[in-house]
Amino acid sequence: MPDPITEELFRNAISAVGDEMVLTIFRTAYSGVLKNIMDFSAAVCDAEGRLVAQGLSLPGHLCSIPVALGAVLKHFGDDIAEGDIFINNDPYDGGMHLPDIFIFRPLFADGAVIAYAATICHHTDVGGRVPGSNASDSTEIYAEGLRIPPLKLYDAGKANTTLFRMIERNVRIPGRVFGDIRSQLAACEIAARGMADLVARYGDDEVRRLMVAMMDYSERLTRHCLSELPDGEATFTDWIDDDQIDMGVPIKLVCTVRKRGDTMEVDWTGSAPQVKGAINNTWSYTAAMSFTAVKSVLSINMPNNDGVFRPIKVIAPPGTITNGKLPAACAARGLTGFRGVDCAFGALAQLYPDRVMAASDGGNTGLTIGGYDKELNPFIYVDFISGAWGARPWADGLDGNTCMFANMASFSVEVIEAENPLEVLDYEFVPDTGGAGKFRGGMSQRKTWRMLADEGILQVRADRQTHRPYGLGGGGPGAYGRNILDPGLPTEEKLHAKLTMTLRRGQVFRHDLPGAGGHGDALSRDLTMVAKDLRDGLVTIDAAARDYGVIARGDPPEIDVPASEALRAGLHATRKPLPAVAWEPAA
Amino acid sequence: MSLRIGIDIGGTFTDLVAITEDGRVTTHKVASSPHDYGEGIIEGIRSLLSREPGSVTEVLHATTVGSNTVLEAKGARTALITTRGFRDILEIRDLRMPVLYDQHWTKPVALVERRLRLEVTEKLRPDGSVSVPLDRASVAAAISRLRDERVESVAICLLHSYANPTHEREVADAVRTALPDVAVSVSSEILPEIKEYPRTSTTVINAYVQPVVRAYITALDARLRGLGIDAPLQLMQSNGGLASAAFAAAAPAHIIENGPAAGVVGGAALARRLNEPGIITFDMGGTTAKAGLIEHGEVIRTEAIEVGGGVMAGSRLLVGAGYMLKLPAIDLAEVGAGGGSICRLDEGGAPKVGPRSAGADPGPVCYGRGGVSPTITDCNLVLGYLDPGGLVGGALRLDRDAAAAAIARDLARPLGCSVEEAAFGMLRLASATMMRAIRAVSVERGRDPRNFALLAFGGNGPLFAAGIAQELGIERVIVPPLPGVFSAFGLLVADTEHHASQSLRVRLDAADPARIASVLAALADAGAEQLTRDGFSRDRRLFSRAAQARYLGQSSEIVVPLPDGEVTPAMIAALFGEQHERIYGFRAPPEEPVELIGLSGMARGLPDCPRLPERIPPLAAEVPPMRRAWFSGDGWIDTPVIDRAGLGPVGGSVGRHGPFIVQEYDATCLVPRGARAWLDPFGNIVMTVGSRGSG
Repeated sequence: MPDPITEELFRNAISAVGDEMVLTIFRTAYSGVLKNIMDFSAAVCDAEGRLVAQGLSLPGHLCSIPVALGAVLKHFGDDIAEGDIFINNDPYDGGMHLPDIFIFRPLFADGAVIAYAATICHHTDVGGRVPGSNASDSTEIYAEGLRIPPLKLYDAGKANTTLFRMIERNVRIPGRVFGDIRSQLAACEIAARGMADLVARYGDDEVRRLMVAMMDYSERLTRHCLSELPDGEATFTDWIDDDQIDMGVPIKLVCTVRKRGDTMEVDWTGSAPQVKGAINNTWSYTAAMSFTAVKSVLSINMPNNDGVFRPIKVIAPPGTITNGKLPAACAARGLTGFRGVDCAFGALAQLYPDRVMAASDGGNTGLTIGGYDKELNPFIYVDFISGAWGARPWADGLDGNTCMFANMASFSVEVIEAENPLEVLDYEFVPDTGGAGKFRGGMSQRKTWRMLADEGILQVRADRQTHRPYGLGGGGPGAYGRNILDPGLPTEEKLHAKLTMTLRRGQVFRHDLPGAGGHGDALSRDLTMVAKDLRDGLVTIDAAARDYGVIARGDPPEIDVPASEALRAGLHATRKPLPAVAWEPAA
Repeated sequence: MSLRIGIDIGGTFTDLVAITEDGRVTTHKVASSPHDYGEGIIEGIRSLLSREPGSVTEVLHATTVGSNTVLEAKGARTALITTRGFRDILEIRDLRMPVLYDQHWTKPVALVERRLRLEVTEKLRPDGSVSVPLDRASVAAAISRLRDERVESVAICLLHSYANPTHEREVADAVRTALPDVAVSVSSEILPEIKEYPRTSTTVINAYVQPVVRAYITALDARLRGLGIDAPLQLMQSNGGLASAAFAAAAPAHIIENGPAAGVVGGAALARRLNEPGIITFDMGGTTAKAGLIEHGEVIRTEAIEVGGGVMAGSRLLVGAGYMLKLPAIDLAEVGAGGGSICRLDEGGAPKVGPRSAGADPGPVCYGRGGVSPTITDCNLVLGYLDPGGLVGGALRLDRDAAAAAIARDLARPLGCSVEEAAFGMLRLASATMMRAIRAVSVERGRDPRNFALLAFGGNGPLFAAGIAQELGIERVIVPPLPGVFSAFGLLVADTEHHASQSLRVRLDAADPARIASVLAALADAGAEQLTRDGFSRDRRLFSRAAQARYLGQSSEIVVPLPDGEVTPAMIAALFGEQHERIYGFRAPPEEPVELIGLSGMARGLPDCPRLPERIPPLAAEVPPMRRAWFSGDGWIDTPVIDRAGLGPVGGSVGRHGPFIVQEYDATCLVPRGARAWLDPFGNIVMTVGSRGSG
């Protein structure tokens, strides 16, 4: 058999092992976080801890596994035996944020480690000051929950009962945490069987060689894709609204990309010092957002493994929001990840303007409403609102689609109402919110809730309410996001982007997601596309005239083509040159 | 002599199979006529009747007309009427996408554009009580918009209508009265289940395809009458049951993915006849391969499918590529590997098979119709597995030299190996891809494929079956008679079925048994009414039911089959625990509360005589006695070629040792070295293979 065919057969087989690990977790886990949001990943690593095959998983976990496994190997390098199971969630020793618990199992062939089964799951609760261990307003890691350094959960097959008891006493719902850990162990068992099959078929030396070949293959493809791109360097700056502690103080994100030959550097030097609020990244999370952005401009979607990471260097200076130092809090760093992808896109767009979308909605808005119903039964409702893609150089941004960095599902309105003392009043697109452009940015989504219980605690982690999603190539920015209490009532009040407050019976909370940035000159938008947006009620008659230079009348609106062409010609002649990056709408 | 006819329309071919009451089978294969599928059907029936004259008693049909309507966006001008504030549910969907790291991802365009998603003022609570009464003026405004926009079909889906359908009915009545020509699809009739997105999407798909499917069925029916056939036309549903033409025309959402279902239904009938406890079906055609699972003679169904989603590498995790259709369908895993799949080396030098396909036109290089990229069929040809004399009984001659040249240029030279090694390697890769589909329906559901037999059909299935079985550790392969038209054959052995469901959300430890009993009774009554309409007398009706349940707090439910007779909440909870353990390997302690989500029923009409014949005698074919074929390890060897009859007498169990090739009119079966094959009493080729690997 020619070697490339053997290698491809092996790639297929070991990728199937990774996917079956993922499916095992998906099937057996208890938490909705794992099932609905798929906030977990699984992989096979080689004996040196390098990522070989990753199952379908969250982009945010890309390259977190080798970092966490590296910490385990640093602690236990010469003390690893058959039957050991390792655990780790410490962001300051290989982890990402405390809810993400890593479980590793060494796999042996002929008495030596041949591979590691690796899993990471976002657990529902790991203790700390708030249920869910995910608050954005903690100011130290010590408030965020139980920190588990790299430890043996099982030592040569024997359970570490001390550690199990420590976990049991420090988390709110130990049954669920242990249930989800069991599903991680089950996935490791699937990997053990799969690797044993491969060793039986190929022999252990050949398996080692084929794993190396697989990483080399991804490296080859990555370098090939990078070589296709012109060399250059570009820097982009964007701002997170604030950290919910130092209210109103914007947080700077700076990304520089340097492309040379078949390599790329993603450098976060210049980003803000770490902040008090819980949105500080680990290096691995910054790496994940960097790789996600870079992978999204490459022409081939190669298998994710160590080979992809080799030609791409990520620099995240310690002590900044992109690489927090102890005791920085990091539970809600998801926000920084989403915004980091947008910032890296901004830098890449300057080098490769025909390959990169304008700013999206800034990532999903996390919302929790919890309390007690009439019978004093607790309820907790967790939702993520997401889904306006930045306009692309070749097409409109997507409306109502999960953001790039995650792949989350929305909750059913009917189920929300059936399970919680809440009424959902609407869930729809908001007109005139997508950034204007030759290609329009994705639309803002509105969701509105009315409280039906006496009271509950509302927590919201949103952003882009003081810094709009930018437009590119002459396209306009998207609309600000908004949080509003009691919309349309005398008690109406605009709220902060990130908030924790009591919501009382009858009170109404409305969230408008930011709209996404547009791409290209809005005056060159095809009239049939403007006409469709008008008829579909996504763009109003006033906005069509103001943003697109299009005159329309009637219901349903019809475009007056000669009048529109005249208006566009006049605007072309008189307006200022369009900026390459637009933070504010054209005057 | 009376005659039953099965007609299966595929993308490339329309297959017809006729069977007489004494079990004689006649087949016909014609190129599909996409501009007017009925034309090919009528031509085929004429040809069948000329060879086997008789009075046609049944016409059983599977058609891609529903799924093609969605795929090609050629449905009716459709509107949606929904609750104010929620018209974008259809477009927002559940947000998920099937690809990662891809800025080019484009969502499927909503089947109803936003301007035609109309809102009425009303709102129900989850218990069905009225929060905001239905505002008649808003209904009138919506109807006037339907009229102005010349809408042909309308879907009505209001929030919480599964709990109380009165608002939906009132809107539907108003539309029907004002616009009698507009087709109306009502969500509480089609899918009375909680979760607004799947319910809306399913209702919209029904509305979108309904006028097209209705017109198709009406026209086909008329043409059949024109041929002098007065037998009723029946259609296969995606769930594997047959339905009357009238039902299919009114609720076409049930027949959308019916093509691949028929082969699995045929497999289930065979499994019952052969007393096979477990069968994995493996159906490989020109562009894709599909795997399904049969346990204890029953097909396995899934609760939802995506229409027009394409092939997602056998994975159930990547969703959102197509249109959500939440109705029971036979569960199939599909991968993009078929005879026409293109073989190439990627930019990293790795060999790849599919998912791109040369299709039927231009087709593989060896067809000589302009195809330049080597395909799986070209690989099979150069290794001597396929007869250069041609496919379909010699109707299509194959150019071996052209195939070999393409393989040498695109694969062998860059890989630095011989043409044979390259071709053989690509077939191994294709097998590996197809094994993932088989693993998806078995390993991913906690079933070990080694405990199953592999039933291989489709034009290419029997070529690959032995190799795949060896790799997966499956001991036995069954190749049924007429493997190339087995799906059409499956139509002839299907039963009439009606599936229905109803949301009922309640903790089982607090459930009212009477409420559960009344929902089950209503489901049974509805099924009985349908079967009465289909002409099944009381003694020929079978009703089975199931519950959907989960542990309180879990986010997804599982299906729990329920026994006949009285059903108590405690019984459902206990059965749920058993089922959970079976699927997931564990169950919670008995005190863990179980939540009922809904109930479903299946009404089956039983035929008055067995639908599967005693045996299907092998058809004789003209084959060359010997052919040079290449096998890994052996190199080129003279390989015997026989027809199915050449395997010896039906029921003979001595068997013949491989390597040899069984060549038939529309399929070729490869029996490699180490395998042994014989004909069973039914007429199946049964093959045992030596195991190479493990599951």
